Amino acid sequence: MLEHAVAFLVRAYYAYTLAGCLFAILFVIRGVQMVDVQARGAGVGFRLLIFPGVIAFWPLLLRRWFEADGEAPAERNAHR
Amino acid sequence: MSHRYAGISWNPQKRAYDLMVAAGVVLYLVTFLALSSLLHPAATAETLLIRGFGSCAFLLLNVVLCIGPLCRLDSRYLPLLYNRRHLGVTTFLLGMVHGAFSLFQLHTLGDSDPLISLFTANRNYQSLADFPFQPLGFLALLILFLMSATSHDFWLRNLTPRVWKSLHMLVYAAYGLLVAHVTLGLLQSERSPWLVAAMGTSLALVLSLHVAAARKERELDDSTPKAQEENYVKVCAVSEIPEKCAKLVSLRGERVAIFKFDGKISALSNVCRHQNGPLGEGRIIDGCVTCPWHGFQYQPESGAAPEPFTEKVSTFRTKLVDGCVWLDPHPLPPGTYIEPSRIGRS
Ligand code: HEM
Ligand code: FES
Repeated sequence: MLEHAVAFLVRAYYAYTLAGCLFAILFVIRGVQMVDVQARGAGVGFRLLIFPGVIAFWPLLLRRWFEADGEAPAERNAHR
Repeated sequence: MSHRYAGISWNPQKRAYDLMVAAGVVLYLVTFLALSSLLHPAATAETLLIRGFGSCAFLLLNVVLCIGPLCRLDSRYLPLLYNRRHLGVTTFLLGMVHGAFSLFQLHTLGDSDPLISLFTANRNYQSLADFPFQPLGFLALLILFLMSATSHDFWLRNLTPRVWKSLHMLVYAAYGLLVAHVTLGLLQSERSPWLVAAMGTSLALVLSLHVAAARKERELDDSTPKAQEENYVKVCAVSEIPEKCAKLVSLRGERVAIFKFDGKISALSNVCRHQNGPLGEGRIIDGCVTCPWHGFQYQPESGAAPEPFTEKVSTFRTKLVDGCVWLDPHPLPPGTYIEPSRIGRS
């Protein structure tokens, strides 16, 4: 019983992480500057630094990317 | 306050800070490995590495958790806070080396997946004494990962400050998990009682510093104004405010920083837009209120950051009567210009 539950959760975790890795490659190259204007023209260092977090939060960023609609998002107040 | 993200905005202080942290970590590891290989000649190198990295990570986490309350109690500790994020990331990296070594050492020999083995090799989940302590370390490591991975300002903005703050509050959950992980691990391997005592001491230190800091904040929030007149309340004497610094007052749960500079008085919200840093503990540098945490700046008259930045905090009306500052506790919309009260004209 425990074995099955754990095996299921661990596989789900691997699948989520793998999907996240694939998404993150596209996101740091193309998506990030559509979601956040401050990322326009940002360097490789910044893109690598956010990579692990993109793997973790990929569903959220996928939604943000869709909502950004290819258009530049309206300039928001930087904090809040 | 960057307009375009950079990987890490390096400056000499950050370099010095990181160099010191790296030197401390290396010194700790070398000392630990040398001493423990003398004390436990039978232990394998892998075991010593696991213990060295694990204890270094846990020690650093205790330091990270003490910095916050220490700074609230005494502003001389502020330099420690300056680059606390890098300390957090270092903690995660050390914990990851420890966890990966353990996983490799103990869970890659059987035919089941190492992570499945981690959760199922020891099934005494009902027992306290034999409780599987390793999964607790894994869960803590997951939290430390989420925090390190989101420590760049990009995440503060894109997760929204509220979510980001809640996520980073999980550090206390990680700390609880690790206290259990370490205590159970030490008890189960029947190591020296001194180690368990050291563990208890660090826990007591972290808890008591947090209680002391919370008590100090409560005192401030409870301090009631001395007198009231129309909309204004009397808050303090002008002479109580050091030049180019602020006096912090709390009115209806709202903290207001009252700054004195160049013969003028201006009042601002105490809460920095960046990460809620205490503006009232900052100073006026180049004519701007400068947050003690990461240096965001605001003009004291308007609460607005200087061009080209866009952050704004609330301002408050003040007046001076007989050398005392009176404050209208209603916050004005962030960025509202208020003519400062002039000292000596009242
Ligand atoms: C996947 C995650 C983890 C696994 C599998 C794991 C595994 C272990 C194991 C097997 C031990 C016993 C070592 C021994 O007695 O020789 C241990 C002890 C310890 N762990 Fe972890 N751990 C993990 C995460 C962490 C993290 C994230 C931290 C701290 C930030 C940590 C801190 C410690 C400490 C301080 C000890 C006691 C060291 C000592 O005995 O001297 N662990 N861990
Ligand atoms: S909290 Fe970071 S600059 Fe104020």
